[in-house]
Amino acid sequence: MTAEIIVVTSGKGGVGKTTTSASLATGLAMAGKKVAVIDFDVGLRNLDLIMGCERRVVYDFVNVVHGEATLKQSLIKDKRYDNLFVLAASQTRDKDALTQEGVEKVLDGLSEMDFDYIVCDSPAGIEKGAHLAMYFADHAVVVVNPEVSSVRDSDRILGLLASKTRRAEKGEGPVTQHLLLTRYNPARVAIGEMLSVKDVEEILGIDVVGVIPESENVLTASNNGIPVIVDTKSLAGQAYSDSVARILGEERPLRFVEVPKKGFLQRVFGG
Amino acid sequence: MSARMNSPDACDLRFGQVGIACVRVRRVDAAALCDELERRVRAAPQMFSRAAVVLDLSHLLDLPDDGAVDALLEAVRSAGMLPVGLAYGTSATEALAKRMGLPLIAKFRAAYEPATAMPAMPAAPEPAAPTQPVPQPEPILSSPAGTAQGAQHHVGAVRSGQQVYARERDLIVIGAVANGAEVIADGNIHIYGGLRGRAMAGAQGDEKARIFVSDFRPELVAIAGQYRVFEQIPVELEGHSVQCWLEDDKLMIARL
Repeated sequence: MTAEIIVVTSGKGGVGKTTTSASLATGLAMAGKKVAVIDFDVGLRNLDLIMGCERRVVYDFVNVVHGEATLKQSLIKDKRYDNLFVLAASQTRDKDALTQEGVEKVLDGLSEMDFDYIVCDSPAGIEKGAHLAMYFADHAVVVVNPEVSSVRDSDRILGLLASKTRRAEKGEGPVTQHLLLTRYNPARVAIGEMLSVKDVEEILGIDVVGVIPESENVLTASNNGIPVIVDTKSLAGQAYSDSVARILGEERPLRFVEVPKKGFLQRVFGG
Repeated sequence: MSARMNSPDACDLRFGQVGIACVRVRRVDAAALCDELERRVRAAPQMFSRAAVVLDLSHLLDLPDDGAVDALLEAVRSAGMLPVGLAYGTSATEALAKRMGLPLIAKFRAAYEPATAMPAMPAAPEPAAPTQPVPQPEPILSSPAGTAQGAQHHVGAVRSGQQVYARERDLIVIGAVANGAEVIADGNIHIYGGLRGRAMAGAQGDEKARIFVSDFRPELVAIAGQYRVFEQIPVELEGHSVQCWLEDDKLMIARL
């Protein structure tokens, strides 16, 4: 059985790709899958920070691509889940250090090691790094914020997924597209400061796979090296759990898209 | 350009002449280009700092690839000037400019070169229409746009950055045309879906070409070179089914 390759991409930077990659990979691992998550953002490595393994990086993705280390040496086992591994990016190199053949070799190697899922955390932009991250994908999680520039960039990425991927080039059927709306703030949507779920779905012509509410927990979790999905009390964590379940084929109702009604205590004390 | 206060239109759209510096690239060497321009900027900052310039690649033997052109543009930027487009060149340059998202200014060579020298011009830079037969290499200027070959169909969304060109025929899009996407036809254009990007019919000058859209919110529509951009889409047209046509060189738009 070959591993399913999922790229997490967006075009625009700062929309939550790495946060999503970390939570998606962790969520799949929580569901009992064997998962590897690869940071394609060579030169600006961040995933290891969010996964909380930055002090355990010895060899990285570029080392494996160049044959300077084996996959086994480079994969960092997650401290929470035994079936989750991180392949960090190199901070000292740039995106030209990656080659299509090298990336393919790494993905094939992971497939041979019986991984169920390989999550590729794409860099921003549509240049080489982003291209290589999406090229081999079977699924794509397109991360979008509810604002016009992010939506337009996602539209561009959706176009590239339909044309500049191995599946497209070999006619193996389209890459499955999942649209994930992050940093969603229902209160700001209600007063017209943000695009609504419906607006985004209408502009892009596809349905969302999940909506992650804007939440302070995300920042706190990231700073502490914990994927927010692990924080099951936080709304963002729950929303990520829902989204991962949907990607795995489960049906779950969309939550956190309405303005929360304030409880009695909140109304008294403000909140 | 002077504003006419009695005009009911919000603006006038005119071709005019403005001075713009042209950087004629003699060899593809971004570092050297940056140094050279930096020297000019330092010598006359008032004149050149943040000056709009166009890049002329027509003096190079071979058109550099996208990466190299990106590097050249970046070199101009880091020298303190603002590249706003490419200038002169062949249809290959035009295709390159499109991929870069830049205008090609003074593209007269592109219009007059023989059709046989045009293999580099793709109908669409991304394979937006895989079912389309290879365009026949007949001289494009010899005949006005006809629709004899039937229409070209595009099923599915045309995404931002994609371009679909129906050469010498009509284009039928079943799906939305996103912001930043372009659909072009030498004949008519029919869009069954939202038009949020650009639609250009009669691309080779057919003034009888029309555009039909079922959900009208475009950035730009054009017929035979007469175009209209939409800073604000008129309320009576926005989201409605609309047709566009030319009447005495004026672009007309009305609800269906």
